[in-house]
Amino acid sequence: MIVAGRKVAVVGMGGAFPTCTDLDDFDKKLFAGESLIRNWPKAAAYDKQIRSMVAGYITEPEMNLEAIHPVPETEYPETYVDLLGRIPDLNLATADLGCVWAMLGAQESIKMAGWSKAEVESEQTGVVIASGGGGNVISRHAWHAFYELGKKTRMAGSHTVDRAMSYREAANVSCLIRNKGVCESIISACATGLGNIGYAYRLIKFGLQDRAITGGVEGTALETFIGFDAMQVLSKGFAPEQSSRPFDIKRNGFVCSFGAGIVALEEYEMAKARGANILGVIDEYFNNSDGDGNMFYPSYDGQKRLWKGLMAGGNIKPDVVKVHGTATPVGDILELISVVDTLGEEGYHISAPKAQFGHMLGAAGSVEFIASLLMLKNQKVLPCINSDELNPELENFQKKDGWEGSNKPAAAYRHLISQETVAKEINQIVCLNYGFGGTNSAMSVSRDDK
Amino acid sequence: MENERQEILEGLLEVLKTVRTIDPERLVGVTEETDFLTDLSTPSTELINIAAKVEQKFDIEFEDEDIDRMGSKVKDVIDLIIMVKERSK
Repeated sequence: MIVAGRKVAVVGMGGAFPTCTDLDDFDKKLFAGESLIRNWPKAAAYDKQIRSMVAGYITEPEMNLEAIHPVPETEYPETYVDLLGRIPDLNLATADLGCVWAMLGAQESIKMAGWSKAEVESEQTGVVIASGGGGNVISRHAWHAFYELGKKTRMAGSHTVDRAMSYREAANVSCLIRNKGVCESIISACATGLGNIGYAYRLIKFGLQDRAITGGVEGTALETFIGFDAMQVLSKGFAPEQSSRPFDIKRNGFVCSFGAGIVALEEYEMAKARGANILGVIDEYFNNSDGDGNMFYPSYDGQKRLWKGLMAGGNIKPDVVKVHGTATPVGDILELISVVDTLGEEGYHISAPKAQFGHMLGAAGSVEFIASLLMLKNQKVLPCINSDELNPELENFQKKDGWEGSNKPAAAYRHLISQETVAKEINQIVCLNYGFGGTNSAMSVSRDDK
Repeated sequence: MENERQEILEGLLEVLKTVRTIDPERLVGVTEETDFLTDLSTPSTELINIAAKVEQKFDIEFEDEDIDRMGSKVKDVIDLIIMVKERSK
């Protein structure tokens, strides 16, 4: 249970972001209103087998990595070489691409936090990181060698398990930084990124740990992309930079993206005592389930209960609501209305950063949490690019019998959703993420000086 | 015989150079008496990868029992390669 008076500060952040050289580049591009979405040559190579051709992908060279392929050569990344020497080869041997990004993000977060070696390696330091998908790139080749080529299991190599297991990112980061506290993963589809930070927050808030390296990851994988492409839920028919269009009337799906968002959390008084630069203070975290038996369809009731749970402590009055906003036809407006019906029609802005960098699946919640920390730092609301026209008509779900939410169309809330960067005083941001299975998560983060 | 062992050793070194978890500097001066675990600090999980790479390099296939019995010295691997080559003739 919560220990009275114990608060949780964010003291470091890092990760991997499409088209960006580092966190500063990510910061700069986001607030310049740029899109990080590109045509994906790897998808285009499969021509008509694939429906959507745009993504927020990150290549190995863009992260100063080199994939080592077997001889005779196949696509299989046998291991990675870190061209900048940041990660030891022994750690790279047990890592898939997402794990390498997680380790780099952990290093950056720890450096920014300014933790000593003793603090990092303490029993009071935990690691809570996960991705949404399995190690699909690694598994694919192991299975192909066995089932299709009829090879012995050892031809897959002895690292299939550690490079593909569900909690590989946490395991790899823990082996790299040698913490002696908790090492776990929380996996909840597209709520994974925020869910891990939420769990790590509770570990500290409940007095079980003093520090945590936490976040979500989704390594570039066409193997992951094709599952969503098959569901026909990916954006199609727009120029890359216009493909991710939350709230826009012409939206027709999300843009599949990849990345990593890692943050360092620390018990607030400890962070203050050592003079840490506090990027934000987490006010509350709450998560729940829709409970309606529907794997995919968002729930107004579930989201309203999510808000109720988040606001139970009485300290939630956000200046910005960072929504999940994937740009799927139903989800955006249902979410918009659950926000409006909770907070009213004035006094805050809505930010949907997927408009700029797409949907990073298991990394979405944590990278968007970092985007929110940048909004706190810059005192600017990110622009909801491509939200060109909001529907002036009611959505179909608003016309159904028994609908209890707002009876205004999306266009009535244009003033909450800006296509331009908005400079204003931002003291508190609420972050929302949801996942398949009807899982919902919400976190509130505030400026330290407010 | 000696030439064959030397050729296999050289081929094995080519394989070991592709194993990223082995420090390349430790490969200088490798002999048949070199021990993968104690001298090269090879992670034990890596031995199976080395065996699989050796199969590809020398176009041979070990039985599972061959690998189970394989020692951790370079000469053990060379003995095994020669034995499997003979067996397949």
